Amino acid sequence: MRTDTDIRIPFRHRQAAHCESGVASNLLSHYGLALSEPLAFGIGGGLFFGYFPFIRLNNLPLTTFRAGNGRIIDRVAGRLNVKIKWEKFRDRQNAMAALDRKLEQQTPVGCRTGAYWLTYFPRRYRFHFNMHNLVAYGRSNGDYLISDPVFPEPVTCPEKDLRKARFARGPLPPKGKMYYVTSIPAKIDLRGSIVKGIRAVCNAMTRAPVRFIGVKGIRYLADKVERWPQKLGEEKAALNLGQVIRMQEEIGTGGAGFRFLYAAFLQESASILDEKRLLDLSQRMTTIGDRWRDFALIGSRICKSRASQMETYPSMAAILRDCAAQEEHVYKELRAVVS
Amino acid sequence: MNTTNLKERLKEILVSELDLIDIEPSDIADDEPLFGEKYGLDSVDAIEIVYQVKENFGVVIRDMKEGRPALQSINSLAAFIEKRRAA
Repeated sequence: MRTDTDIRIPFRHRQAAHCESGVASNLLSHYGLALSEPLAFGIGGGLFFGYFPFIRLNNLPLTTFRAGNGRIIDRVAGRLNVKIKWEKFRDRQNAMAALDRKLEQQTPVGCRTGAYWLTYFPRRYRFHFNMHNLVAYGRSNGDYLISDPVFPEPVTCPEKDLRKARFARGPLPPKGKMYYVTSIPAKIDLRGSIVKGIRAVCNAMTRAPVRFIGVKGIRYLADKVERWPQKLGEEKAALNLGQVIRMQEEIGTGGAGFRFLYAAFLQESASILDEKRLLDLSQRMTTIGDRWRDFALIGSRICKSRASQMETYPSMAAILRDCAAQEEHVYKELRAVVS
Repeated sequence: MNTTNLKERLKEILVSELDLIDIEPSDIADDEPLFGEKYGLDSVDAIEIVYQVKENFGVVIRDMKEGRPALQSINSLAAFIEKRRAA
């Protein structure tokens, strides 16, 4: 049975670019593994691309620029030999009791949540998105103490709101999932983990057997985008386009934020591995991110009916093909660096 | 360009480049949230704002950690641009 005793685990909150890699970095750092967010993202193989016409979000195809929710944490832990335990629940009371038990054991807990019920988000930023991650690190006056990486400082969340957020309904529901560290190795192989992370991304982006994933997926999307106005009509084409941009929009990056984060990972890895070629590849990944942003800019102008004559679906398709070609070259060279 | 002029210029850019209907630059408060019902801006508009900041002030926003607080209001955006230009 839950007590109302205050609990405050000495957890260090750091703001991050992205929730899951931020949580991974902060959780591992709590246990003495000082891992930056870019390293967590890269070792976790976070970079990805997929366009899934058969998976619907808001009745529109799903596009993703990063690995599936939970995979970054699982993989970065796995590669570093850190043991993480995942739990999921059918019953909300059980889920909150389990969270309380871990907090009483002084264990900070990662939680997968929907974003809509997290009332510490300003109203205008609350939307139905079920792939958010945060860390609960205590309780005070009935509220949970939350380290949410998208915020500059820790926040608090009433119990009823956290409960709702953990069991938010809709596509890809969180189902009360929580995770926590159960063991940390005495030594970690950072260099080896970086190499494995890089190899995993190169494989996912260039060796996927299906056309929806990786650089094939980017080209597949290009073919779709080019034909949307003729196939779907202008209105539906703009809806589809808005979905591609909006679902991955991260404050003006149009989905390119993950490319920039990966560029930061390559830059850090260059000094850890003492490999200068990674610096050049980091720069090229930044350029690729800028190119994705060019795509998103035209898309945003079409969605908002302020596109010029040159800003068309075929011009966006051309940019996507350019992104695919540039990414393909980068992964080929990355593979050579870590082979 | 001093801070007041910078904020005025940002407001002019928002009105003209984002097609804000029936809103004048003087209607945009310095500390009001940019996104939401008041001005009708959403996350898709953020892409245009980031582009305009680069084109007009030479400041590039790539880090989502920086971009999030910078894009909250005219005040925060102006402060971000000034800080980056001073660096």
